[in-house]
Amino acid sequence: MALSSTSLVFENVSYAYEEAAREAVSDISLSIAVGEWVGVTGPTNAGKSTLCLLAMGLAPHFFGGRLKGRVVVLEKDSRELSVIQRSAEVGLLFQNPFTQISGARERVDDEVGFGPECHGVSRLEVAARVEEAMALVGISQLAARHPMDLSGGQLQRLALAGLLAMRPKLLLLDEPTSQLDPAGTAAIFDVLAGLHASGITIVMVEHRLETLCELCPRVVAMVAGRIIADGPPDDVFNREAVQLRVGSPVFTRLAREAGLSPPWPVRLRDATAVFGRRLA
Amino acid sequence: MAGGLSLYAEGKSLLHRAHPLTKGALTLSAIAIAFIAPSIGWVLGIGVILLVLVTAAGVLRRLLAVAAAILLPITLLLLAVQGFANANNRTVAFALGPIVYYREGLAIAALAALRIACLVCATFLFSFTTRPADISEALMQRGLSTRMGYVVQSALQIIPQTLDMAGRIQDAQRARGLETEGSLPRRARAYLPLMLPLVLSSLVATQERAMALEVRGFGLPVKRVARFEFADSPLQRVLRWVLIGAVPAAIAARLAGWR
Amino acid sequence: MGILNAFKVRMNTLAIVLIPVCIAIDWAGHAVASTLKLPLFLDSIGTVLGGLLAGPWVGGIAGLITNFISSGTVDPIAAPYSIISLAIGIAAGIGGYYGWHKTWPGRIALYVLIVLVASIGSTPLNINLYAGQSGVPLGDAVYASLVKSGWPTWLAAYIDEATGDIPDKLITVVVATLIYFGLPNRYRALFSVWRRQSGEPEPAPASSV
Repeated sequence: MALSSTSLVFENVSYAYEEAAREAVSDISLSIAVGEWVGVTGPTNAGKSTLCLLAMGLAPHFFGGRLKGRVVVLEKDSRELSVIQRSAEVGLLFQNPFTQISGARERVDDEVGFGPECHGVSRLEVAARVEEAMALVGISQLAARHPMDLSGGQLQRLALAGLLAMRPKLLLLDEPTSQLDPAGTAAIFDVLAGLHASGITIVMVEHRLETLCELCPRVVAMVAGRIIADGPPDDVFNREAVQLRVGSPVFTRLAREAGLSPPWPVRLRDATAVFGRRLA
Repeated sequence: MAGGLSLYAEGKSLLHRAHPLTKGALTLSAIAIAFIAPSIGWVLGIGVILLVLVTAAGVLRRLLAVAAAILLPITLLLLAVQGFANANNRTVAFALGPIVYYREGLAIAALAALRIACLVCATFLFSFTTRPADISEALMQRGLSTRMGYVVQSALQIIPQTLDMAGRIQDAQRARGLETEGSLPRRARAYLPLMLPLVLSSLVATQERAMALEVRGFGLPVKRVARFEFADSPLQRVLRWVLIGAVPAAIAARLAGWR
Repeated sequence: MGILNAFKVRMNTLAIVLIPVCIAIDWAGHAVASTLKLPLFLDSIGTVLGGLLAGPWVGGIAGLITNFISSGTVDPIAAPYSIISLAIGIAAGIGGYYGWHKTWPGRIALYVLIVLVASIGSTPLNINLYAGQSGVPLGDAVYASLVKSGWPTWLAAYIDEATGDIPDKLITVVVATLIYFGLPNRYRALFSVWRRQSGEPEPAPASSV
């Protein structure tokens, strides 16, 4: 696969929901290469979730509304493929674990197999994929349980396994851990790190800036439907506009308060290095 | 708790192992013929056959418990009303003070009650021995669309969850001072505060569930792969046709003067 | 013809997902009525709501499956009445298509239509199943006194059934309408499955269920 091949491209994209007065995203341009792990952040109504819905095709296919510009996902224009047709290659994980399970299956393993079965995958293949996906997210031991008996964190991993069983090339996550406890959160991020290492492209909306900087080699900052910064986290969070309108990771704030000169650190390990030098 | 709706209990009887469609044909055919059959004797015969099958399936005690709760009140109501007031009433059977009971009405009530008893027994025979998931799977293998199959499976899961939540909302509203006992108007006023939060939250969840299903490819027009095979046999296939064929045969017999 | 347009709806994923929720509302409505010891069934609120929100197919299928599931689990005698629940859902769906729930005369029309569908539909079933009774003690007492004073069985059976349906469907329609207007605006817009332009009913290709 060529290094230059793109997974997700937005070309001057503006989108407004049905009957909405203002655009949810305005004139967005973005290009994400295969294998990247991109974090998206910004305040409420920044258009982060809309970005995910556009990449999945739910906007406009599910929501209607007005789309300007082009969204190209895995080299195909989003207008040409419905969400269902796209589902084999692109997955989207939502915030709420409870609404994401199909609600039609009585066992965890059957639930994981729901997607592949919708795609008409053979029974043997479904079984293999279910086993693989459950192992990837670490829920193999829950295979025989009823999905509604799981904790929120387990349920979110189940939802992720349901997507991975489709073997997606592009994974979109809309604040996947916002409703989880610290242990559940850590488990999800561990899984994502593994997926990133295996070459899957990941786009993740996350409002916890420390987490974002720690995990994502590239960060997109959005405000009021527009991208205001796009680059490595050290670069993005050292911009004044981002600090003012999106906020700063705690290490950056600490360094600023301590009177250090910029560029300020954005990650724990960088902050440790900086402060370690000062203390020495 | 989740999955608490089904009456099914594991078992090893012939009926437990039979193809769901065979049991379905048996149930529907027995009910139809019970209502086509002209007299108490015939309906009683069908009832006896059903009871033998229920016994063979090892669910007689459970069936008697649930069936009695349904059948006892309705039987008494039928006897009380029809014996007293029916257009065919001629022959006095007995009198309870000023209320006179007639043989014709009592016989009509008995026939109706027996038919309803057959309906109840035949249905529970099916429910006790058939896993709900097997019913939708069997129907989907016979051409029910995957989307309708989903509706049935999902409803079976969502009903107990919703009833569960109804209980929790009731406790919460009661803790906040909602009166759920007392006079009828007072109890009636509690209805909406109990229903609204329940209903609105489950309706609002549908949007995200619909999106999540599409993201997983739900509704793709692909040929469905059976999730598992049911044990079937030529004997069962023949039996199904015989059971289904018995219904038009009974209608024909009735038209030809079966008394 | 106008009324047929009510059946021309998009059965999209949202409409499909709505059906089990309506079925659960039917069940919850009945369960809450039982715990409050209300002398009504109130088991078709979800069916009516489904019809109002998303048309006759969603309402009708919800009603049908509600009855199928209760016949298989708690009340086998509900099975023959599935056809009535189907008809109630379809009637509500037609009312929803014409927007009856949005005006007072319309709400009354919706209520009257549903009472008529339920009572006229159930009467022949009651005659074949219960020798004309409805199985509800109060209605059956009315039935007994009417038959005793020489009324024809079918008419007494109809009045027996209607004494139950008149209050039951009143509360059902009122609660379903209140829930409808309690939903956030954008959900109502989302569930709307009919394609219309500038207020005029616009036929859309009906997809198979």
